[in-house]
Amino acid sequence: MDIVSRLAGVIGSENVSYCDSELQSYGVDRTTIWEGNPKAVVFPRSVKQLQDIILFANKYSLKVVPSGGRTGLCGGAVANNSELVVSMDKMNIIKEINLDDRSITAEAGVTTQQIQVAAAENHLFYPVDFASSGSSQIGGNIATNAGGINVIRYGMTRNWILGLRVVTGSGDILNLNKSLVKNNTGYDFRHLFIGSEGTLGIIYEATLQLTEPPKPSTVCVFGVEKFAYLTEVLKICKSMLQVNAFEFFCNNALSRVVGAHQYQRPFDTESPFYALVELENTEIETETVFEVYSKCVDEKLITDGVISQSIDQARALWRLREDISETLWHFQPYKNDISVRISKMADFLNDVSQLTQKNYPDFEIIWYGHIGDGNIHLNILKPKNLSTLQFKSFCDGVSMSLGELISKYEGSISAEHGVGLLKKESLRFSRSEDEINLMKSIKKIFDPNAILNPGKLI
Amino acid sequence: MKAIVAVKRVVDYNVKVRPKSDGSAVELTNVKMSINPFCEIAVEEAVRLKEKGVVNEIVAVSVGSTQSQEQIRTALALGADRGILVQTEDELEPLAVAKCLEKICNKEEPDLVLLGKQAIDGDNNQTGQMLAALMEVGQATFASEISFTDDAVTVTREVDGGLQTIKLKMPAVITSDLRLNEPRYASLPNIMKAKKKPIDVIDVNEIGVNVDKRVQTIEVQLPPEREAGIKVENVSELVDKLRNEAKVI
Repeated sequence: MDIVSRLAGVIGSENVSYCDSELQSYGVDRTTIWEGNPKAVVFPRSVKQLQDIILFANKYSLKVVPSGGRTGLCGGAVANNSELVVSMDKMNIIKEINLDDRSITAEAGVTTQQIQVAAAENHLFYPVDFASSGSSQIGGNIATNAGGINVIRYGMTRNWILGLRVVTGSGDILNLNKSLVKNNTGYDFRHLFIGSEGTLGIIYEATLQLTEPPKPSTVCVFGVEKFAYLTEVLKICKSMLQVNAFEFFCNNALSRVVGAHQYQRPFDTESPFYALVELENTEIETETVFEVYSKCVDEKLITDGVISQSIDQARALWRLREDISETLWHFQPYKNDISVRISKMADFLNDVSQLTQKNYPDFEIIWYGHIGDGNIHLNILKPKNLSTLQFKSFCDGVSMSLGELISKYEGSISAEHGVGLLKKESLRFSRSEDEINLMKSIKKIFDPNAILNPGKLI
Repeated sequence: MKAIVAVKRVVDYNVKVRPKSDGSAVELTNVKMSINPFCEIAVEEAVRLKEKGVVNEIVAVSVGSTQSQEQIRTALALGADRGILVQTEDELEPLAVAKCLEKICNKEEPDLVLLGKQAIDGDNNQTGQMLAALMEVGQATFASEISFTDDAVTVTREVDGGLQTIKLKMPAVITSDLRLNEPRYASLPNIMKAKKKPIDVIDVNEIGVNVDKRVQTIEVQLPPEREAGIKVENVSELVDKLRNEAKVI
């Protein structure tokens, strides 16, 4: 009997798929470099089934790729080498909303948006948010410690995890931190699993902290003349206003988004860069915005600006930023998601832009990201005349010189997207050899037969 | 040509409204208020007409609370020249609003009065029509396109069966529909300039119209929640349910 039939015997044939289209779609994430080629996709419906799958994989030395919404951008969920994809799609129940604890407990396959909506229905708020929230799943968010647009105010996914339930690579079921707010009892394994990219175990349930919903916000977009001015504008905004988000994008990004969606430009004057600032909506703040604007104009940092007059306009302005990733996706961009300390941002931006101008003057380079978090997304669009592979090998060259620069600035080669397959070679620019070896030792403890997410992260 | 545009302060379109706990009215505490979207379209249209040189002065008028000055400021930021607030802390009915606007128009003598087709709070869709009747001028409601020739205005209206094009003598009252235009963003430099533009505040009691209420609100409550749908197994079950439970066939 072949291994897939045996597997069907373990968890039921209705929970196993090997039709070509599903193999292909479950074998890839939002990266466009690899093609999916798993052996089969399995859909556990209970922790028992999940554990059975892991034990089965250990017994038959099957490699396992844990799979959520597959909205990742680094190939962390790619299965292109006859692995078994374990999709959490069918473990998708919100188990509890606890108003006393202000928490929500959900299975890993619940989407980020479903968490947000369930929280909102109870007059609470789950603050981690990003453009793909409708498809991305909470288990994947945790395994990759997802960031997004609210990090400046609320932090990354890690800040919102009260408890995790996981099946380790050896098949043990663990209840990590038991959803306690305070629990000083030694090593906190919960934090090891957050951002582990499916290399230690599979998260099947999580309890998340919820909070007060924010007041309705006001959104401003400013035209900024120079890259280096963005950090100056941020400094002024932060000194005078309660800033929820501070994003930026370049004019190419804006033109692409406006063109693809027939959106209205924020203002007629074109600027090389734009800053999007989200503020708490209070009367005083609105008055202060004028002061901020005047100060920035006086210092010749910004050229023009708009402020939303309604929630609709606030959303429309956000779409200019949020829709960039999806708009660019069609151009098979090579994505870099890099960060440095905010205090080093200005010098770093200067060096990066010199590097790209010098080495890659002919490529369309699109910048955007979260200046407020020290995080920029540097996208290089694939020219039509290059094949995917030619383009990738070219971009690997970019990554090396960028990596050295990041290393010099003690920054991160992956601020929020994770490492996966795509950034594995660059990991050494952010983590020392000793650290990487320690990571490997930790993996051995949780996944002794190395069945989980082979080739990813470390 | 002089244009008057009416603007109303309403609960923001994207806010999910809730009744107050005593059911006396809609809860407005800590709720985002904005310019009524149809009024915003009317303002945008006036500004475009000014940019084309058809209109040379735009007066934004609101009938409402002191805070309605914020919405007048929005109109000024978009391009209106000055504002008038007929101030009242009471909620006025459409006829009272129309009468206030009529008084303003008698004084200002505009060639064109632009309003939103309705405000999204009361959803009455009456003020524009009543104003035209009071002023004894022509009206074109639900406008999706406006063009001018010498002393007449041609308006395309969105009616149930499609589009209707009519021609009116000036002065005229026009109410805007959703597709008339897409309002621009208010730019910060324009908002700051708008702060220097004048707003006249007139107390509603000094304007000389009867604003007594004719309708009394007894209770405000949420609509009943929609029950979840069901799935049927086959066509005969569907037919059975339609016939015997829903009783629609």
